[in-house]
Amino acid sequence: MAGRPMLKQVLGAIIAATIVMWLANLLTQGDKATGAGWVWYFIGAVLVMAIYLFFATKPIWQVGTREVVMMAIGAVLYGVFSWATNVFQLPSVSFVSLRPAVAIPIFMGLAFGPVVGFFSGLVGNILGDALTGWGVYPVWDLGNGLMGLIPGLIHAWPNTDERVQMTKRVLMWVAGLMVVFVVLTALFPGVEHPWAGTTAGQWTPVLLILLVAMLVVAWWALRSKPDVATAVVWGALGVIVGMGFASIADIWVNGYSVATAIIGEFLPAAGTNLVFDIILVPILYAAYQNARLRSGR
Amino acid sequence: MLVTWAYKERPTLIQRLDPRARLIFTLCAMLAIILVWDLRWLAGWLAFALLVYRAARLTWKETRRFWMVVLPLITFLVLITALTGRGGEEAYQTVHPWVTLQIGTWAWQISVEQVVFALSQFTRMLTLAILGLLIPFTIHPAQYGVTFRGLGLSDKFAVATDLAFRLVPSVARDFQTTLDAQRARGYELERKGAGVIRQIRNLAPLIVPVTIQAILNGEDIIDAMDLRAFGAKPRRTWIVELRYQTRDYILIALGVAVLAATIGAKLLGYGAFWVPPGWLAG
Repeated sequence: MAGRPMLKQVLGAIIAATIVMWLANLLTQGDKATGAGWVWYFIGAVLVMAIYLFFATKPIWQVGTREVVMMAIGAVLYGVFSWATNVFQLPSVSFVSLRPAVAIPIFMGLAFGPVVGFFSGLVGNILGDALTGWGVYPVWDLGNGLMGLIPGLIHAWPNTDERVQMTKRVLMWVAGLMVVFVVLTALFPGVEHPWAGTTAGQWTPVLLILLVAMLVVAWWALRSKPDVATAVVWGALGVIVGMGFASIADIWVNGYSVATAIIGEFLPAAGTNLVFDIILVPILYAAYQNARLRSGR
Repeated sequence: MLVTWAYKERPTLIQRLDPRARLIFTLCAMLAIILVWDLRWLAGWLAFALLVYRAARLTWKETRRFWMVVLPLITFLVLITALTGRGGEEAYQTVHPWVTLQIGTWAWQISVEQVVFALSQFTRMLTLAILGLLIPFTIHPAQYGVTFRGLGLSDKFAVATDLAFRLVPSVARDFQTTLDAQRARGYELERKGAGVIRQIRNLAPLIVPVTIQAILNGEDIIDAMDLRAFGAKPRRTWIVELRYQTRDYILIALGVAVLAATIGAKLLGYGAFWVPPGWLAG
């Protein structure tokens, strides 16, 4: 227990989440969780515990003076840049304004660890919305926090070689998932999509092209520029998890349909954020490495 | 560039309340709203939110940006939901056709339930947005750190929050100085005719120096805090002290009671999606 100081809290969180799920099942309308649903829930909970137990023993959660100051700086940078880009009205996609500042929590996570990344995203989003006068949106604040936390997990592997190996494994998992989707869509081409109206077979070539392109680009980048590729991949993972969490949570918070959550929120938010992750995070990361070398800190 | 906080000191009851009590009440209210789909209940919550907005004495000029962005956004997302499904919770199962739009061979039917759900969803989202809007406009920026500490957050996180709010003016000043310096060198934030990727790369001369300078300046803050033995004692004191008054306890009790009552009502079958019976006639 001593090596896993937050085990009690995590077990408590899972028990609390189970009670909330049970209550939600009682209180909300529509489909109710079945026996199979609870089995999936249990598998999910065990997965969360496994991820927790893996990362809990790593020295990446300690918060000293440096982390406190960097959390504040990350949050204020994210807040001020968000406010500035809202004011300058950069080009936008749909109603989602382009927010290049998302590179900040991702970069802070990569440079200073998951706690700094999480805080920069969460408090920075609150700050940016407060400065712009848009109010507080707790689910999106948490989503932005996750966007900074996930890239910070890379600190669990101290050297570049280990990070590259782990990044390759993550890519293999993502590729494996996509292979499953490709096989399923090829085996059951007639299954209709619940909201798009398209059939599964129409997605097979698109998924195949995406899968091959992703693997080729990532492998090439990991060989030629391991630091940059690792940063971009973990940043992308953060964007997908963070924006995915906030968009999907809005199905229950705001009553969206799945299509609204995906088309109206996830795709515009995650799509543009991924572009900023790919372009701005490597530039910031390289500049930071140079500055560290020059300052000797 | 002038960075101004949304907060202004006003002699209102809301600003006299303890920020911790207000945050607890707002959280309870938001959870209670999320639990219901009955349009009558939601309309009641919207009326309450507008009443509090009125009591906070916020002006149109201050909140114009909120209304101009949030209202179209909510309308857009409600419309997509109406066009693509019944909401994630599938609040209603049966439908009663209301209008059928016929364009050539293409026909699209709008049901009474679809319209009422869109109204309920709009009311719910607007109410949640207004309750969220009131927080930055009515809580003093210097009180966030001590408020979160009072709500049980650790000293380190509370200090980081406090520091972030205090650093806003200096980072905004650095941002403006860098922007002016780059513009003097011919930098254009929005270069006409450049593609999106080019425009994003164009932001690097602005974002990189401000970020790196802030991090390097942060080293001085770290040294200063270490020299003052930050974190040496398990619990630190705060220059601002928050004390609950009777009215704050009442507000917290009210929030908890409203949430408990909503949960109880839901268990008894109230608060579900509701369609005015008259709309279903015929």
